[in-house]
Parts: sequence; C-alpha cells; structure tokens
Amino acid sequence: MIEITDLVFDYPGHRALNGVNLSIAAGAITALVGPNGAGKTTLLRLMAALETPYDGRVTIDGLDTRAAPRAIHERLGYLPDFFGLYDALSVRRCLFYAARSHGIGPGEARGAAEAAAARVGLEGRMEQPAGALSRGLRQRLAIAQAIVHRPRVLLLDEPAAGLDPQARRDLSHLLLELRDDGMTLVVSSHILAELEDYSDRMVIVDNGRIAGGESIALKTNRLRIVLAEARDGLADALKAHGAEVLEAGTDRAIVSVADQAAARAALLAGLIAAGYPVCEFTEDTQALEEVYFSRVKGRP
Amino acid sequence: MNPELQRNLWLEASPFRLALIAGLLLLVFAAGSVAPSGMMTTSHAALGLYWFFAVLWGTRSAALSVVAEIRERTWDSQKLSSIGPWTMVWGKLFGATAANWFGALVCLPFILWPVWRDDGMGAGLLYGVILLSLGVFAQAVALLSSLVLIHRQSGNWRLDTFLCQVAGIGAAFAYYSLWSSIRAFEQSGTTTLVWWGRDFTLSSFHLMSLLLFLGWALIGCWRAMRSELRFANGPYVWLAYLAYLAIYGAGFESVIGVKLQGQFDVPPGSIPLALAGFSLMATAYGMAFLEPKDPVRLRWLGDQIRSGRLYSAFLATECWMLSYGATLIVGLCLALSWADTPSAALAVLAMLGFMTRDICIFLLGRMFGGPKGDFAALGILAALYLLLPTLLRHANTGFLLVPLGQPTWSVVAAWAQGIGLAVWVTHQIRESFTVR
Repeated sequence: MIEITDLVFDYPGHRALNGVNLSIAAGAITALVGPNGAGKTTLLRLMAALETPYDGRVTIDGLDTRAAPRAIHERLGYLPDFFGLYDALSVRRCLFYAARSHGIGPGEARGAAEAAAARVGLEGRMEQPAGALSRGLRQRLAIAQAIVHRPRVLLLDEPAAGLDPQARRDLSHLLLELRDDGMTLVVSSHILAELEDYSDRMVIVDNGRIAGGESIALKTNRLRIVLAEARDGLADALKAHGAEVLEAGTDRAIVSVADQAAARAALLAGLIAAGYPVCEFTEDTQALEEVYFSRVKGRP
Repeated sequence: MNPELQRNLWLEASPFRLALIAGLLLLVFAAGSVAPSGMMTTSHAALGLYWFFAVLWGTRSAALSVVAEIRERTWDSQKLSSIGPWTMVWGKLFGATAANWFGALVCLPFILWPVWRDDGMGAGLLYGVILLSLGVFAQAVALLSSLVLIHRQSGNWRLDTFLCQVAGIGAAFAYYSLWSSIRAFEQSGTTTLVWWGRDFTLSSFHLMSLLLFLGWALIGCWRAMRSELRFANGPYVWLAYLAYLAIYGAGFESVIGVKLQGQFDVPPGSIPLALAGFSLMATAYGMAFLEPKDPVRLRWLGDQIRSGRLYSAFLATECWMLSYGATLIVGLCLALSWADTPSAALAVLAMLGFMTRDICIFLLGRMFGGPKGDFAALGILAALYLLLPTLLRHANTGFLLVPLGQPTWSVVAAWAQGIGLAVWVTHQIRESFTVR
C-alpha cells in the first residue's frame, strides 16, 4: 500500500531522512518507533504528501506523492502530533465541515458526520463545542475528522500522547476496528508499551534511516504451548494434529499453525484428548521492547 | 455551499455579532443626523466606518484567515482536504471577512446617497464600484501577503498579521489617495492621462488600474493557495505578472519619462525600457524580502542544474529569481541603448551590481538569521543606502556603496561586492550542511 524508495529529506543544515526504503502492507497496523528527533514525524508528513522529498519517492496506493498529492489526500487521513480543532464549532459542525471539505456532498455529509462520531463514541456529544471537550474526547474528534471520508490509509502521529489509561485502551480498540475494516494504519510513537496492544508490524526509525532496513513482523502464526508437567512424545503428538513443530521439549513447544481459529481449536482439543496437561496455549509474539533495543544499538 | 465559506460564516457571522454591528452603526448614523451643522456629517462618518470595516479590520480578518489556521494548528487538515485552490481562496476572502462586509455594506448607502443626489446616479454607482473594489483589493493583498509570509515560518503570528495588514492598508490607501486627488487635478485643468500615447480620462484610468491590480491580487492568491495545497505552480503566472507590470509601468513615459530625459539626456525611445526596469527591480527587492529563500530548496535547484535537469529547475524557480533575471535582462538592454550616454549606461550597470549585492544580503540574512534575518538585511540596506553614504560624503567615496558619482568606479565597486557576496552565498548553501 505504501512504498518508499531511496527517500531523502533535508532541513536547513542537516539531513532528516537519508535513503529510506520501506514497504508497508495493506490492511495492517504498522508502528513507527524511534527516539525523539529520529525522523518519524518527517516520514509521516512525507507519506501524507505534506512535504516534498529532496530525493527519492513515496507512493500511496500506486500514486506518487510528488506527482499526485491531491489524489493521495482523498485516500488518506492524517492526525498530526499537535492538532487543532475549531473550538467554537460544535462536534456536529466540525465533522460536517470535515466531510464537506473531503468532497462528500451536502446530502451525505450529515450521515457521514454521524457515522464518524458513532465510530469514536461521540454520538452523544454532537452539539457540544469542540473547545469544551476533554483531551481524550478532543483526540477522538480529531480521529473522527480524519476518518470521516473513509480513507484507505490512516496516519497517526503520537495519537496516545497525553491520554489517560482508559482513553488509551479505547484508542487501541478503535485502531483495531479500523484495521479490521480494511484500513491501513501507520502509528508513530515513542511509547512502546501502547503500541504492543495493536501493532502488527514495527518500523524502527533511527538517525534518519530504517534500523535493520525493513519492517518487523510482531504477530506471527506461532503458538507457544506449555504443559503443567513434562510428558514424552509431545513433538509427535503436535505433528499428528497438523502443527509444524519449530521447537519442542518435554514440557513446552513452539509450533506454527494456520492463522485460523478452527485449526487452533482442533490442536488444543487433540492435545487434551491425548492426555497432555496443557496449561498455556498462547500466541508467540515478539516482545516489542526486546526487538527495539536489539535494533537500536547503543540506546539501552 | 462552499464548505470553507460556510465554516467561516459559522465562526465569523453569528446572528448576535451581526445584530451588534448593525445596532451600533445605526446608532452612530442616527447621532450624525441630529448633530449640529459643522460637525462630521453622516456620510463622512459612514466613509470612515467603511474604511474601518472593509480595510482596517477587513485586512486583519483576511490575513488571519490563514495565519490563525497555522496558529491553531488546523492548517494541515485544510491542506489535506479536497477543497480546490480557488474555492479555498474565495471561501476565506469573503467568509473570514463576512462580519466586516456586513458592517461595510450597512455603511455604503449612507456614503453613496449624497454622491447620487448631487452628481447623478452614474457618479454614485462608480463611487460604489470603487469603494467595493478597494475593500476587496485591500483584503486580497492582505490574504496574498499572508500566504507568502507563512512560508517564512517566523513563528510570530502577530507580526505576520501586522505586516499583512500594512500591505493591504498600504495598497488601498495608495490607490485611494490617487483617486481622491483626481478632483484637484481636474480643477487645475488636467482631465486626461496619457498612457502609451493614448488619452484616458483620469477616473476611468484609475478604475481600470484598480480592477486590473485587483485581478492580479486574486490570481496571486490563487497561485499561492495552489502551492499550499501541493499543486505544482511553475513560473508562468509570475512571468506574466512581470510582463504586465513592465508594460503598465512603461506606459507612463509621457508622465515620468520627461523628467528622466531632462536629467540624463538619453534617447526618448528608451524611456519605457527604463520605467519597465524600475518596475521589475521593485518586484525583485519586494520578493527577495518576502519569500523564504530556503537554503535546502536553493541547494536542490543547484543539484538540478548541475545534473542537467534545467527544465525541472526552471519550473521550481522562485519569484525573486525571475524578477532578478528579468531586471538584469531589461537593465542590460537599457545600458546598451544608452551607450551614447556613458554616464547613464554606467549608472544602470552600477544599479544592477548593487541590486545583486542587495539580493545576496537578503539571502545571507536568511541563512544566518532565519526568518528574522530579512529584517536584519533591511537594516543593513538602510545603513548602506542612507547612513554610510552620509558618513562617507566628506571623503567623496559614497559611490562605493550607492550608484552616485564616479560611474566607472561605482560599477567596479558594485559588481565586486555583488559577485563576492554571490560566491559567499553559494559556498554557504553547499558547505554549511551535514549528512548524518
């Protein structure tokens, strides 16, 4: 969905991005992480066609940001790290304006505004002025404005900054829902813990480059199985139930199975039926922090 | 309805605000109608209030329509919208100033009625068109200035707004003072103006000029908005404006040219070229001050030229570069046409050299001082043109800094400074950069 090739961007006096190459898959949530000043915001702004690269190119859905920025804007929603709202306008008017300004006709704009408000849980506050909303609700309104035209790509720069734990959890659920609806999301943050809840892949930006040169898959088809007590023949039993065994001992194993609930349920049921005391049966995710520090050298 | 206009109407033209403006104005006019004779009349009060609403406050509203979006961090979302550049321009121009126009339009009948009554319907209508165009012109200049100034990223919205207001008010006042002086000209027997050898009545020429410059201001807003909304612009509109300005300025040969000819004894046919050159030079200085002169963009342009992508570089040239280039070409043609009058030709060459130096001072000001560097450059130019020549007068060396006296040495001094600073600028652009 997003292809970045040899991207270079300069500010007066220094190079912010230096030959970035990256491919971001459709329908996934990609976390953009890195230290402050690493170039995350610049990269997002270049993806949003708000800046022009010094060299290289960015394409969104096959469109070059330099050649067709306005066509990209129609397909894209963007929430900057420091966003503003029209404080004197009601939530309804803010969203109506956002819908109209994205080319939705006057007849459909009202419905689009209400749908976006419902999506972020603001349907009960439609007549409230934006300036009277709390930090978390303002964030929700800003996201609603960014998705009111149902973009294919949503870019969020530090969306959870300043939110309380409940608001962060709500944000995670919202982002997962948007992904499940087919949207491609890129979320920038330097708080790793919050990204772990919803990210499928991670891109580490460090010193104007992509650390490791590519995005890292955080969610795999790997399952970790732990037994309450050691038993022989675990590997054979797993193979017999269709799992590909990656590692196996007498009390634990890591296997690869199809990413389907039915296949996993069948494997679990088979192990229990064969008398294996399964006490843990979980997705074998890579710890985000571990991966991050293994890639960003010298920054413990 | 244009969504940008609608949003601005929601924010700027609330029923309470409009009722308050109408109520206050009607109170002022009622007081004016019962005031003793000799005091300010209702029409004078209305004219003053029209200026307040349409020009003084209107230019502020127009400038803030962009500057406030940046201050409130809503500009990015506007840039990401699907609203087209022209729709955005008129939505802001008439939406952000909706309350101003409401007040101005309430004032207008009180201004026009006495003119209509005394001089006839035609005069009343003409005056109405002049006042309305003047208001739109002032606001369009303020909006255009704000769209140019935001590239400088000064971070000082109050100063930016003030500068835009000054530009808008200055444009309106300059025009209105000319319009107001028509009657004095007519009383002294001058009823026509010769432009490119043709007679025009003063009032029709002034009105046409206002409408043409208003048209260019609106085109300028559209072009600047296109750039903000990430459309590629190219240099053609600015080149067309330079051509218009050169032709417009050169047409005043019979008004200004006579004085120039008397002073320098140059061929009469070359006077339009001189007037065109001065008009172009004014834009070179103006845009060198206003435009951001981003060192990264200049380095990118250099890279394009070095790698042979000349058309790509040409499309990305900034307005000050085009104005500078056009002034150089016209200036050299002028110097050639004045070859028989060496002192005049050398004075032109010296002016071109000093202009090169001055543009480099603006560039260096930007590189070393950021957005504030433009004001530092203005200060340096004030010292170079006003302070130092006065100090050097007794040593008779002022020609080293300004194109006055000792023509040959003035040319040498001007180009030595111009080329020296240009080399320094090029070095700064290429060397003061780190790749991490």
